Amino acid sequence: MKFPESRASRARAFAVGLLLLLAVALVAFSVGGVRLSIADLLSGRGEAGEMARMLASIRAPRILLAALVGGCLALAGAALQALLKNPLADPFLLGTSGGAAAGAACAALAGASPLVSPAAAFLGAAAASVGVASLAMRGGRLDLQRLLLAGLIANAFFSALLLAAFSIASGEAARTMLFWMMGSLADATPGKDAALAPYALVGAVILVAMAARLNLFSVGEENAAALGVDIERTKRIVFLAASLLTGAAVAFAGVIGFVGLLVPHAVRAIAGNDQRTLLPLSGLAGASLLVAADAASRAALAPVELPIGAITAALGAPLFAWLLLRTP
Amino acid sequence: MNDPGFLIEARGLTADYGRTPALAGLDAAISAGEVVAILGENGSGKSTFLKVLARVLAASGGTLLFDGRPLDSVPRRQTARRIAYVPQSVDLVFPIRSLDVVLQGRAPHGRGFVAETPTDRRQALDAMRACDVEGLADRDASAISGGERRRVFLARALAQEAEVWLLDEPTAGLDPRHRLEFLETLWRVHGERKTTILLVTHEIGLAADFASMVLLLKGGKTIAQGPCGQVLTAENLSRAFGTPFQARGRRFEVRSGVLPGGSLEP
Amino acid sequence: MWSQPVAGKVPFAVPVAAARGHLRRCRSSVPSRPWRRGMLTASPSSRRLASDPAALATEHTPSRDAGGGKRHAAPSVRALLSVFAFAGALAGCRAEGPAAPGRTIPRRVVALAPNLTEIVFALGAGSMLVGVSEYSDFPEAARHIRRVGGLEVDPEKVAALRPDLVLAMAEGSARGAVRALEAAGLPVTVVPSGSLDAVLEGIRLVGERLGRREAAIRLADELARRREAVRRRMAGRRRPRALLLVWPDPPQAAGGGTFLNDVLTEAGAGNLVGDRNGWPILSAEYVATAPVELLVLPDSGQTRPAFERALSRGPLSRGPVAQAKLVRLDEASLTRPGPRVFGMLERLAEAIR
Repeated sequence: MKFPESRASRARAFAVGLLLLLAVALVAFSVGGVRLSIADLLSGRGEAGEMARMLASIRAPRILLAALVGGCLALAGAALQALLKNPLADPFLLGTSGGAAAGAACAALAGASPLVSPAAAFLGAAAASVGVASLAMRGGRLDLQRLLLAGLIANAFFSALLLAAFSIASGEAARTMLFWMMGSLADATPGKDAALAPYALVGAVILVAMAARLNLFSVGEENAAALGVDIERTKRIVFLAASLLTGAAVAFAGVIGFVGLLVPHAVRAIAGNDQRTLLPLSGLAGASLLVAADAASRAALAPVELPIGAITAALGAPLFAWLLLRTP
Repeated sequence: MNDPGFLIEARGLTADYGRTPALAGLDAAISAGEVVAILGENGSGKSTFLKVLARVLAASGGTLLFDGRPLDSVPRRQTARRIAYVPQSVDLVFPIRSLDVVLQGRAPHGRGFVAETPTDRRQALDAMRACDVEGLADRDASAISGGERRRVFLARALAQEAEVWLLDEPTAGLDPRHRLEFLETLWRVHGERKTTILLVTHEIGLAADFASMVLLLKGGKTIAQGPCGQVLTAENLSRAFGTPFQARGRRFEVRSGVLPGGSLEP
Repeated sequence: MWSQPVAGKVPFAVPVAAARGHLRRCRSSVPSRPWRRGMLTASPSSRRLASDPAALATEHTPSRDAGGGKRHAAPSVRALLSVFAFAGALAGCRAEGPAAPGRTIPRRVVALAPNLTEIVFALGAGSMLVGVSEYSDFPEAARHIRRVGGLEVDPEKVAALRPDLVLAMAEGSARGAVRALEAAGLPVTVVPSGSLDAVLEGIRLVGERLGRREAAIRLADELARRREAVRRRMAGRRRPRALLLVWPDPPQAAGGGTFLNDVLTEAGAGNLVGDRNGWPILSAEYVATAPVELLVLPDSGQTRPAFERALSRGPLSRGPVAQAKLVRLDEASLTRPGPRVFGMLERLAEAIR
């Protein structure tokens, strides 16, 4: 196990993460149902060049959306794991994603403009976080088993809500519900990317700013309090920022599970549990994972698309089982 | 400044865990440099008092003055620089290097709870040396023995440069050798830095040998406080623990009608 | 199992109903392509099948169930058994002749899908209907019949109508309700629809059960004649490469093993995704780069805004598909496997010519 020692080594780790993301994005850019030749794109002449440009205009926003969504979910998962001192915390398993989807779906059903859907998703996510956390409280502390059960309850509740909304919705609205339930990056546009980016940035900046405080949570809430951290305020800020990230991701890509669980564990195993490294690196690794998963979903059964959630779940569910077996 | 004579002064302090009351009007007056043993039966409020002092738990009523000012009127970070808390046990879920645990003691001093200047590092390593755990610096704190971990957390308190240490049952679960080593470290540090120490313990003998003052609690209230000689009497202990004690020199024993020896030294 | 998209919620049920089955459907749907091709080319054996509804039902359903059976083994086995039982009953009654003593002409009929309602009316038996599915809006007279549920059929409502015949689709979301009705002892007839042959068979089967055998054979023969005429007219022509989308974004197409694939190919086009069974959801990249020459879209008030958006700035706005010849066909007529789909076949062939 390696522990980054200093600011310099953290910067190095961050640079490695960034390079990984760029490499993955580059590969993802050229694979898919149709091969995209970078040479054609650069030369840009003739029919081949035109085709390459068109493909690029479809693929690039989609890769960016995958990166933003993956980063949001992984960062939210990493922060929740640190805050709750719980390796099983994940916006999907804790019902935050479900709450966000239900929020967005309700707004859509009420006829709100798509521009409001991140806000509605955020409200849904925040409500889910608060609800799950208070259900899981026992004697003033979060109980691990209760937390997972509360997440289960929240997920059941929100999926029932979504199904109900689905069955009363018609035509396009029903399509939209389905999109939120299944998760999809298929209709990425530069506009969506531009709308999601500020949410992702704000949430990421807040969480990374809380990293040093979250480090003190690793020995327990009481420990952090005794070291001068206002734990209630910190918990509120982290929960809200994680909800913001989850809500934004779900509003633009629907519910995609397990990214928030999978990524922080992989990063922790490689880079240690210093949140100042773990959080930004999780963001980058989450972005890389989802970009890769999306490329797989485009390429595996082309021209048919595999749902992205199926790929992340296939990777995440076994890990979850393994973690559950290891947790005393 | 209310009463500059005392560093810590509690009057009618109350606190609770949800609906369960834990402190029911505790009084205490502790001067700087004292070693205070807090004694009392299980549930008498000993650990709760430490938690309120550490600001892990907020008092629900009464007065608690630290250095003459109400504790909750001082910013948390400021008190965290002066008061160190060593919990009874910690539950480590994720791996964390021992040095990083000790560096946490520097967090209240750093900007944004960041402790990574060369000074922080040196102080953390010095503290580890003082507590004889320097060799464990790179080891995962969740994978070392209980006694070692106790000393790592003591080193953290040391690195924190706090003038008050709150120790919750620091010797519980330690074998005789580790217990002795731990107490020797504690005593040495106290001698060097004149740290005020509040320690919760069930060892009456330890209190008698080690403490300069005893705080005897029952049902969340103080039933006696003062120098060991005055407070540690068979009568007080019998009242505090609800079982008859008898004095035997400077030691106290609990009488038993069942056990072959007939008495036990706690 | 999803070899036709219209589960009842028409005109905009196609995408919803089809998408609902998305997870199950990825690689399922009608698997037995040799058999299907046999049907299309009207080989002697298929002609035998075509003239014998009972034989069709027994041979047709198992092959269909094989596709979904991978994941829904128990239900499809049960469905299969029930269809066998029904086929046996039918064979038995045929043995006693078409007049079918002991099996009177039904007087209270419930149709659980809009295309079934259309078939009943087309056979001149509209007055027998006492209940229809929510979106049965054709012909006009169907609008005034009692509704028994939309996407999800309410079996209690159906039973309360005391029907002596319930017509249901072999596919779609009403299967649970159908099983409940069968268990309650109601006479349910399951009508196939996974190809144009199956649609004709369905018409004959419904006619049989309604005591309108002659009318059904006349109608089916007439439709088959029009279909054959289209086929002859389009023979030997170059087939434009085509996509028939049931939903624009994400683009969902009619793949192989669907009656719409038959419509596309018999009208003289080549289905670009004919090698994908069912209703594949295509990637935007594929749609933008595929060499599409002909784009067929179902058109209705409900689907138009979504398709317009896709055409102006969505997945249909780039590449060859944006330049492709665009044919819009009335959604209800096109996507319901009933008599009107043959009119759409003629219209499409006309447009291709």
